[in-house]
Amino acid sequence: MSARQAAHRERGSRSIGLDAVAAGGVIALVAAFAIGSALRPERKSDPVHRRATRKARDGAAILGASVLMDSAMEHFRGGFHNRAMVLAPATAAASIAASLAEPRPDRTGRLPRLGHALSFAVGAAGLGFHFYNVTKRPGGLSWNNLFYAAPLGAPGALAISGLLGLTSEALSIAPVDGNRTGNEALAWSLPEAGRGLALATGGSLLVTAAEAGLLHFRGAFHNPAMWLPVTVPPATGLFLIGEAANPTDSGREVTRWAARGVAVLGVVGTAFHVWGVHRNMGGWHNWRQTSLAGPPTPAPISFTGLAMAGLAALDALGSEERSS
Amino acid sequence: MSGRVSVLDDAAELRPRAVSGRAPDVFSREDCVPMAQFRDEEEVDFAIVGTGCGGGVLAAKLAEAGGSVVAFDAGPFFRPLADFASDEREQEKLYWLEERISDGENPIELGSNNSGRCVGGSTVHFQMVALRFRPEWFQARTKLGYGADWPVDWREMWRYYEEVEKACSISGPIRYPWGPKRGRYPYRAHEVNAAGLVLARGAEALGIDWAPTPLCTLSAPHGKSPPCVYRGMCKIGCSTNAKQSVLVTYIPRALAAGAEIRDLATVGRIETDRWGRATGVAYFREGRWRFQKARHVIVAGYSIETPRLLLNSHSARHPDGLANSSGLVGRHLMVHSNHAVWAEFDEEIRWYKGPPSMACCEHWNYADDDPTKDFDGGYAFMSQGPLPSDFATSIVTNSGEFGMDLRARMAKYNRMAGLKMVGETMPQADNRVTLSEGKDDLGLPRPRVTFGYCDNDKRLYAHALDFMGRMIEAAEGKNRFETEGTAHLMGGCRMGEDPKTSVVNADGRSWDVPNLWVCDGSLMPTGGGVNPSMTILANAARIADRMIAAGRRGEV
Ligand SMILES: Cc1cc2nc3c(=O)[nH]c(=O)nc-3n(C[C@H](O)[C@H](O)[C@H](O)COP(=O)(O)OP(=O)(O)OC[C@H]3O[C@@H](n4cnc5c(N)ncnc54)[C@H](O)[C@@H]3O)c2cc1C
Ligand code: SF4
Repeated sequence: MSARQAAHRERGSRSIGLDAVAAGGVIALVAAFAIGSALRPERKSDPVHRRATRKARDGAAILGASVLMDSAMEHFRGGFHNRAMVLAPATAAASIAASLAEPRPDRTGRLPRLGHALSFAVGAAGLGFHFYNVTKRPGGLSWNNLFYAAPLGAPGALAISGLLGLTSEALSIAPVDGNRTGNEALAWSLPEAGRGLALATGGSLLVTAAEAGLLHFRGAFHNPAMWLPVTVPPATGLFLIGEAANPTDSGREVTRWAARGVAVLGVVGTAFHVWGVHRNMGGWHNWRQTSLAGPPTPAPISFTGLAMAGLAALDALGSEERSS
Repeated sequence: MSGRVSVLDDAAELRPRAVSGRAPDVFSREDCVPMAQFRDEEEVDFAIVGTGCGGGVLAAKLAEAGGSVVAFDAGPFFRPLADFASDEREQEKLYWLEERISDGENPIELGSNNSGRCVGGSTVHFQMVALRFRPEWFQARTKLGYGADWPVDWREMWRYYEEVEKACSISGPIRYPWGPKRGRYPYRAHEVNAAGLVLARGAEALGIDWAPTPLCTLSAPHGKSPPCVYRGMCKIGCSTNAKQSVLVTYIPRALAAGAEIRDLATVGRIETDRWGRATGVAYFREGRWRFQKARHVIVAGYSIETPRLLLNSHSARHPDGLANSSGLVGRHLMVHSNHAVWAEFDEEIRWYKGPPSMACCEHWNYADDDPTKDFDGGYAFMSQGPLPSDFATSIVTNSGEFGMDLRARMAKYNRMAGLKMVGETMPQADNRVTLSEGKDDLGLPRPRVTFGYCDNDKRLYAHALDFMGRMIEAAEGKNRFETEGTAHLMGGCRMGEDPKTSVVNADGRSWDVPNLWVCDGSLMPTGGGVNPSMTILANAARIADRMIAAGRRGEV
């Protein structure tokens, strides 16, 4: 049974409407940002360090928000026919809160880390479920199933948001003065953390671009702009990975501009998707159907989140040269 | 939906809409686009009778090449967004329902399943299955030993398939399991619905290939058309314009290139001069008969109306009808056997969701060496999604079930699935269109359609029923039953290389009257085991190019 058919089947027996899901999503988003920000007092520390940490965690939060809205909408479309489907948006909300919370070396600091680890675990499990959903349908691992059965990229994004969260945690608790306390499991030095983050974001950009590529291929690249997210982000991802392997000043500058481009692309992409929804029958007047049938509006902004994490990684990597 | 309430009226059916230099904008609810207009006494380059697959393509391509074109259609010029309702009865306005006489050993049921009557032709209500001929079928006689050869090389046809598939933004699978490798379809295949997955399950259980059906409806936006919304009203006319019918593809192109479309304009006769050349067409519009002068007349009214018009255009020089020195006008009419198996399932299928035939199987079009294949020709079959009255009607006509029995059957509507064949029938000279004694409201002789299956046709559909039955059972269908029927029309004015055995040449030009052409489904020498529209479109695109090339050489 496909997600779409399930949606039709379940909708009759369920009183939750899409407006309720949308409202719920927005409330969860606001709440997550509020809780996260409340747990995030200013701290005096190295400006590069702080800036990088902030950026990385804001990036992770944006990614989490994208996953939250996207999974809420898609799983609504799937009628939440499997109870576990509520886990995805719920975990994404936890992930946003965790990303926004100020990391602390004390016990309360464990909570956000747990949140990130949970996102990662739920994302990975979701990937397994979705893979199973794809392969059990007639045709198995066919294009039609990759296009239309449970998407592999979506839980992947949740896992990525957990991974970014964890890496940015490592960044935030990295000792600024180079002295490790030895208390922290993830106590990397700042440049080390920067490398880790560059690698994580670079890889994530490749994976996310692959997902965009699959879905834009499904849309037959009917608008030439659809090529942008399958070219700019993977190039940036490769640059970031290159920087992680072998950081150079000039390379960093190029990568920084590329990452800024990706950040802008996330916003431009959202605008394109809003336009894309309008091109479906009934346009935004008919949003209850078209926002589900058209291109997913919450998806492109994940590129902005990833780009911010990438920029943070570059900041942290830059600190290496300054300190050495 | 959008909150707008629309009221249907029958304005399109009562008064012509393409008048005063304006034609309906099919992408709007009430707007118009500018249209060229020619005077009756102005000798236009091309007068085209019919605006479906054949006429629509020619109107667009000939006008784009600079020709002056007037295309006539007996039916209305609809704006789908405003004129189409999700109602089976209302949408009967799309069919050619004028009385026709049907006889022979197996009289064809004429109406909704054969031909349309509106600008855009039968594609306005066709089911969008967009398949190509198997290459060998273009040489069926030489290579496979039955039927007749086409005067066309398959490679040329394949180039034109590609052209028309692009023009109609066909959504098809990445890998098509049968036949030579083809280029990528312009759009990706749609999600296969539950009814299609029944076919898929059955095919996998029997170990044969299946594929998401290439469909003539959008899986992503194109121009002013939105993607398909999967409401399944396709056979009664798509009210979203996702379906890429000729009405929303070639007709707007034709208008933009300067062609004139005359809706609610029935052509009754092609006039000829004393040298036997066509001079133009007599047509009935707005309550009176008129005459349009033309240098060339192209007939594209489909397999019944094209022969009818040619036969009715007899004159002293052409006593048996125009282009009929071979005596073949109206002969070799073909249908597709459209028999089906149906079964009930434990799970809900809701087969009306989405286009009706989302999965297909062409196995028996290619399995020449299978020892159980005891027939010439081939057949494809597809998953089904009939709308309720359509399905109820086919049950009543096939099984006679009525009253509580019918009600009980229809109560299972949402848990049913079916497989329906498109079976090749042999071109037989005695399956034909002739003129009857009776006259229609315009005083034109009604067509008589005579049809009977030959033994090969019967073996073919018996084989299909048996195979589809096994497949639906392998997919865990219960309480299986069968229905019979026909779909599509082909032939009636076959093209060929010899004036004695064909009506027109490979360019669609009649052997007898050099400025009279035929370009529609009636040209097909054989029917093939696939739905015909793509082949008719491709052939029309090819003929258009041949006409344009001949024009450059000064031969047109
Ligand atoms: C219900 C249904 C479902 C179908 N499904 C499929 C499918 O899934 N796939 C597929 O490939 N094919 C399908 N077909 C077949 C396909 O639609 C036709 O084969 C194709 O449209 C024929 O093209 P044509 O140009 O020969 O004629 P048409 O498209 O029928 O066009 C002929 C036009 O000529 C006009 N006309 C006729 N006589 C006159 C006259 N004297 N004066 C003025 N106008 C006249 C008619 O009004 C009509 O509009 C389907 C057909 C039907 C009826
Ligand atoms: S299912 Fe798609 S093609 Fe068919 S009528 Fe609806 S929108 Fe049109």
